Amino acid sequence: MTQSKIPVDLILSKLVEESEKVQSRAKKGSEVLLGELDTELAKTPYDVVYQEDRVKLKHYRPRTETRYHTPLLVVYALINRETMLDLQPGRSVVERFLDAGIDLYMIDWGYPTRKDRFFGLDDHINGYMDNVIDFIRGQHEIDKINLMGICMGGTFSVIYSALHPEKIKNLVTTVTPTNFDTKKGLLHVWMEHIDVDRVVDTFGNLPADVMNFGFLLLNPARLMIDKYVGFMENLDNQQFVENFVRMDKWIFDSPDLPGEVFREFVKYCYQGNMLLNNKLEIGGRQVDLKKLTMPLLNIYGKYDHLVPPEACETLINHVGSGDKKNICLDTGHIGIYVSSKYQEAFAPEIANWLKERDKIPKKKAPRKKSAAPRKATGVNADTSKKKPIANKSKPVAKPRPAKSKAPSEPTKP
Amino acid sequence: MNDNTEGAFDITSALDTWMKSYNDLWGNMANQWETILGQSPAEKKGHVNISTMQSGMAALLKNWQSITTAMSTPESADALFKGSSAFPEVLLKLAQTSVGSFAEMQQNIFQRLGRIGDSVKAYEFQDIDENIFRMWTDIYEKEFRQFLQVPQLGLLRGYQEKICQTIDKFNLFQANLSEFLRMLGLPFNHSLQVMQEKMSKMAEEGKLSEDIQAHYRMWIKVLEGHFMTLFQTPEYVEVLARTINSLADFSAAKDAVFEDMLMAFPVAKKTEVDEMGRELYELKKRLRRLEQQSDR
Repeated sequence: MTQSKIPVDLILSKLVEESEKVQSRAKKGSEVLLGELDTELAKTPYDVVYQEDRVKLKHYRPRTETRYHTPLLVVYALINRETMLDLQPGRSVVERFLDAGIDLYMIDWGYPTRKDRFFGLDDHINGYMDNVIDFIRGQHEIDKINLMGICMGGTFSVIYSALHPEKIKNLVTTVTPTNFDTKKGLLHVWMEHIDVDRVVDTFGNLPADVMNFGFLLLNPARLMIDKYVGFMENLDNQQFVENFVRMDKWIFDSPDLPGEVFREFVKYCYQGNMLLNNKLEIGGRQVDLKKLTMPLLNIYGKYDHLVPPEACETLINHVGSGDKKNICLDTGHIGIYVSSKYQEAFAPEIANWLKERDKIPKKKAPRKKSAAPRKATGVNADTSKKKPIANKSKPVAKPRPAKSKAPSEPTKP
Repeated sequence: MNDNTEGAFDITSALDTWMKSYNDLWGNMANQWETILGQSPAEKKGHVNISTMQSGMAALLKNWQSITTAMSTPESADALFKGSSAFPEVLLKLAQTSVGSFAEMQQNIFQRLGRIGDSVKAYEFQDIDENIFRMWTDIYEKEFRQFLQVPQLGLLRGYQEKICQTIDKFNLFQANLSEFLRMLGLPFNHSLQVMQEKMSKMAEEGKLSEDIQAHYRMWIKVLEGHFMTLFQTPEYVEVLARTINSLADFSAAKDAVFEDMLMAFPVAKKTEVDEMGRELYELKKRLRRLEQQSDR
């Protein structure tokens, strides 16, 4: 066997070249880091039109004429923040929905504190969610609204739609786990062996840092090493740095997870797989998926390491709806929402699907008292530019003005 | 009585040497203390201005010196050993435990060292259970833990028990965490070895890239693969669960000690706040039910 020559000289010259590049990059990088960076998230203007405890309902100001008869409510997960849907101008699912003419609402679950540790699935689904939906129905004087759930928020939306089908016109679920009997996702494997009672009884709420550490452990090579190597390599690129910081801000901006929700979600779903088997009971009522009869659009990612396709795709086989569709995109868990490329495939698809099913809604009977906001709020109201929602509600958040900065390119999901 | 004369003699002489140095230490400390006070022992006698604390400290140091002086003579130590049959047995048992455990660890280390140089198979973690931290945990649980579980007596019994329990839970958490971290380090070792093998093969075939980035990308890919394989193993899942459980146990034990300490301060305890939170939660629920009923 002949011994081949190792190109040591070439390797060394490359090393020298690299070290020169690193030096120049570090110099430029320090200028970028010390300069003015735009890393603000969620800039699309909205008003908080309803608030109950820590939970707020955001209503986005229209960017164009509203072209849908039925408003859309987006329910995000309790893990991380809904700001992921509105990372920056030009890279925002919220903007795309508004540009399509959708009247858009979104739940902001807030930051649970120690006193929220006893709030379980029933309180979130039959409590907060139901009140918010009643509020929107009341404001628009309609019987049904469109509902879109994301990840755990999608599971909440599925449960809600099965329990209250009379209030939901169309249901969209995205990267939503419903089948927990799979070994494909690491979370599914790990959660089976967690002594959730011990954790919740000790910690109360599940601390966000513990949760984030767990997520980092799902892929340490990429999330703890490669990601930051990439950052160092692009230190001199202001747009890259801004996008990276924005994304990192969002990733580690995690609220604690209310203890009882965590306990019930792990026990009922991950350990018992009760939802698909129609064995789940919430608030004393059985969640029967056959009662989920509205049109259903189920979207998930082919390379999702948190909620693998196996956890999502079987939902449509269990629901009572005749109009149902699965869409699998070639991306991961959050790539759908943060990458410009997949936003193109994702947001317009939902908008079109909703448009096809957007008939003039029936006018609702007089609104119940319970649909009124729990906590009448009226902070920082800038009502001069927006259409008032209703007499009873008052906006609480100061609308955020959009800056006229050019849209940035996406970071690596 | 199992009196091993030769062993007892060795222990006694060792103890004697140690006691002598200990005695010197206490003597020096007593002298230093007196120097600090600025008085000779003769002047100190009957001095009324020496504070209670100072005189107490001086007395304590003198007491320690007396005791260690008495114990440092071979006769006293011998008498002490002969008078108490339990003491040498306890010492012997402790020594046996430590030596035995150490030998077991050493044996295991040698076994592990012996395996170095074996060919590395990519994406396999079959020897994962042979680790030193698990063994240390076993030894701790079997041999040392019992010392922290000795029944406590007296007025402060409850507090002492909680402190011992916290130390115990901390030790267990540390042991489990070490094992967990060691496991997280495995993919790095494996991936580096796999890379070495790959690179030497590529060098033999003349395919070695001069681009450092290419090697980095290859390594990250291999590392990711190893992590993914490790995370699916039952051993990893078990260690992860054990680490989380022991962290929860330690936190609960630590909270119990802090709650005792907080009793001295005019602040609400964690359990009290939680109870209040629960009451508030139930009251809110009740209020909402009543609101809904009144709406109908």
